[in-house]
Amino acid sequence: MGSRASTLLREEEIEEIKKETGFSHSQITRLYSRFTSLDKGENGTLSREDFQRIPELAINPLGDRIINAFFPEGEDQVNFRGFMRTLAHFRPIEDNEKNKNSSASEPLNSRTNKLLFAFRLYDLDRDDKISRDELLQVLRMMVGVNISDEQLGSIADRTIQEADTNGDNSISFNEFIKVPPVDGEQDY
Amino acid sequence: MNKLKCLEKSKCNFTNILLVLNALSLGCWCVLLLLFVSVASAGRDVDSGSNDTGRNPAPEDSHHQTNSTHHKKAFPVLSFNFDHVRKPFEISLWILLALLMKLGFHIIPRVSHVVPESCLLIVVGLLVGGIIKAFDEDAPVQMLDSKFFFLYLLPPIILDAGYFLPMRPFTENLGTILVFAVVGTLWNAFFIGLTMYGVCQIEAVKLGRVDLLSCLLFGSIVSAVDPVAVLAVFEEIHINELLHILVFGESLLNDAVTVVLYHLFTEFSHKGTVTVADAFLGVVSFFVVSLGGILIGAIYGIIGAFTSRFTSHSRVIEPLFVFLYSYMAYLSAEVFHLSGIMSLIACGVVMRPYVEANISHKSYTTIKYFLKMWSSVSETLIFIFLGVSTVAQPHPWNWTFVVVTVVVCFVSRVLGVVSLTYIINKFRIVKLTKKDQFIVAYGGLRGAIAFSLGFLLPDNEMKQLFLTAIITVIFYTVFVQGMTIRPLVELLAVKKKKESKGSINEEIHTQFLDHLLTGIEDICGHYGHHHWKDKLNRFNKAYVKKWLITGERSTEPQLISFYNKMEMKQAMMLVESGSAAKLPTIMTPVSMQNIQPKEPLKRRAIPSISKSREQEIRKMLRGNLQKTRQRLRSYSRHDLMVDPFEEDVSEVRLRKQRVEMERRVSSNSAANKQSQPWISKQQLGKDNNIP
Repeated sequence: MGSRASTLLREEEIEEIKKETGFSHSQITRLYSRFTSLDKGENGTLSREDFQRIPELAINPLGDRIINAFFPEGEDQVNFRGFMRTLAHFRPIEDNEKNKNSSASEPLNSRTNKLLFAFRLYDLDRDDKISRDELLQVLRMMVGVNISDEQLGSIADRTIQEADTNGDNSISFNEFIKVPPVDGEQDY
Repeated sequence: MNKLKCLEKSKCNFTNILLVLNALSLGCWCVLLLLFVSVASAGRDVDSGSNDTGRNPAPEDSHHQTNSTHHKKAFPVLSFNFDHVRKPFEISLWILLALLMKLGFHIIPRVSHVVPESCLLIVVGLLVGGIIKAFDEDAPVQMLDSKFFFLYLLPPIILDAGYFLPMRPFTENLGTILVFAVVGTLWNAFFIGLTMYGVCQIEAVKLGRVDLLSCLLFGSIVSAVDPVAVLAVFEEIHINELLHILVFGESLLNDAVTVVLYHLFTEFSHKGTVTVADAFLGVVSFFVVSLGGILIGAIYGIIGAFTSRFTSHSRVIEPLFVFLYSYMAYLSAEVFHLSGIMSLIACGVVMRPYVEANISHKSYTTIKYFLKMWSSVSETLIFIFLGVSTVAQPHPWNWTFVVVTVVVCFVSRVLGVVSLTYIINKFRIVKLTKKDQFIVAYGGLRGAIAFSLGFLLPDNEMKQLFLTAIITVIFYTVFVQGMTIRPLVELLAVKKKKESKGSINEEIHTQFLDHLLTGIEDICGHYGHHHWKDKLNRFNKAYVKKWLITGERSTEPQLISFYNKMEMKQAMMLVESGSAAKLPTIMTPVSMQNIQPKEPLKRRAIPSISKSREQEIRKMLRGNLQKTRQRLRSYSRHDLMVDPFEEDVSEVRLRKQRVEMERRVSSNSAANKQSQPWISKQQLGKDNNIP
């Protein structure tokens, strides 16, 4: 993966990405040009600083977590394949895909995988449960600094109370799925 | 057991029958009074002078009369002067009739399940109109005259719809709704107009006199989907939110198109010739009408929101501001021939979030109930009058014209919806399925707006024929389509509205996803729906809220206000169910200190008892001890008395918070704690105090 060669996207790579993520040819090329425009260091990978340079992301309360979601465990750079793989979660479900045989592994943008992605944004320590403290952290990010801890605490308590069915005082993935889905899950 | 059931059923039936008879007899009395009134009015011209002696006596006349009648008539103890109150009396009687009918329908459960209310009301109107006509051929039964309809009957319904418009689904589907409203209505109007013109040209129909512009005018009147009818029918079938907002949004937004087309064709038919410049001006006027209407509505909305910022000392008049500003928005738009409906909706939508943050809870309830009440009455009256006015017209019946109109309306609607959906689906993420398309096409009901517009037509020979055709289309859509849409919805297994209770979970989840998707959109460099919504929200928070919302609430995040609303609702439910007493009233000074840092001092010292207990105690004291002189509070009609209900509500909330505090304290001490950097000092301090 020489630095010059990877700036041009080869046909085989496009085909592979297409198969893996399901994006169309034109979408992949468009996203590639976006990738290269973000990649200021021109080394074929993005670092966290490249993401943070996007102005709107800096004021987004969930900005840091979203950026983290792009980087696999412990790494600091993400290449184009990884970039596409994360973005593939947000592709809308096509009608013709619903008929695919179930023997193939579940496509990246199935509903479960989308919800899993969102769940992982809450659940930082990856213990498959959203504890009260993780919920408090997210709430604090979304609400700002003017609200007292107690008020946030009671909101968090109430949220867990509503969603928790097995009484372990935290929200597992199965309980998370049961919250009625909102239309805004898809993008593009 | 069976015997009991039988007996109960027959008793039930008997009670039902009795109630129905009561309602019917009351209704009959109303009708009879109404007849009497109309007869009296018809005969008014004949004996004009006899009842007016009290009002404007010519001096020498009365003198003469008193002189001559001095010995004949005694002082009239009881006199009859009906003209004095005639108009309000009639109006009240009509409204009373409408409401009694509404009551009566719900007593007969089987009928109201099959037939939508609107149909029954039209039938009642027909009956009443027939009765009045039978008694008196010339009675002025034209109730649905346009001024009355457009100025008094229509605004409450539209305001109710606009104020409670669900913003989220509306904005998410705005593109689709606009395409249906604008392009769909245009297509309908032209297709119907041209087809009818073609039909009229056929020799056999004998309608060769009808020219193209009249047909186009007719097409533009009959093409618009009517919000009143849609509301009336769709409300009873509880269809899913997406379809509801599509059809309903379309019916609201096509008003601009209808207004423009109507005025356009009326002007053209006066002028006689149409040039390209005129057509171009027509397109421009469409934009002016719709955007101008929205602008006027938004201005009035902002003024209304700003006014509500200062009403904290006169809570009683708060609801009136909302109503009056909205009505003025409607009237102002009508002055300039802009779209009044769009102005009304824009006003309600703009005003609502700020007003709701400013007004008291009671005012909010008042607004809600008054709007629902007025819109309900208006709707009922509209349908009854539709029936009555049908009877009032002479109806030149031309089979071909009318039947073809009905068929063409239906066909053009289906074609329009199908082809537009095909185009729209290329841009939508959640595609519209065939079932959705069918419901949207089938739900295109015509109603009273078409009829009133037809009434405004210039009086030529075609007017009666057009009116007949319009009425037939309205009847067809309301009766046939209205009655069959419910079984069709069941048959096609269309998704119904899910009964969600608005949990805090959903709200958090929604906001979370909003932020997430905005972030992803920014990464992709794609300026889509979420990006602009986010920008609008930021602008709103940074600038607008500061101006329009009083005090602290201007900086309150949406999540917190949502949470507070839910807590309030729950507390009220608890109070109403009377279980407030069941909450334990543990009071430890530590927990109270922690949660009520801002509470005034006296709450901690005195054990609080409910208002009713206090009154009991007072009653006991008064009864058994010497008469104590109670200090009378200064009474003013304009003050709202302290409501024991609200006191109970706030008390329940307090108690709940205390209980939760206790629970958390005990659970924290029991669970094993990991080091968490954000535990506040208060929590740490609390933990140390647990024995």
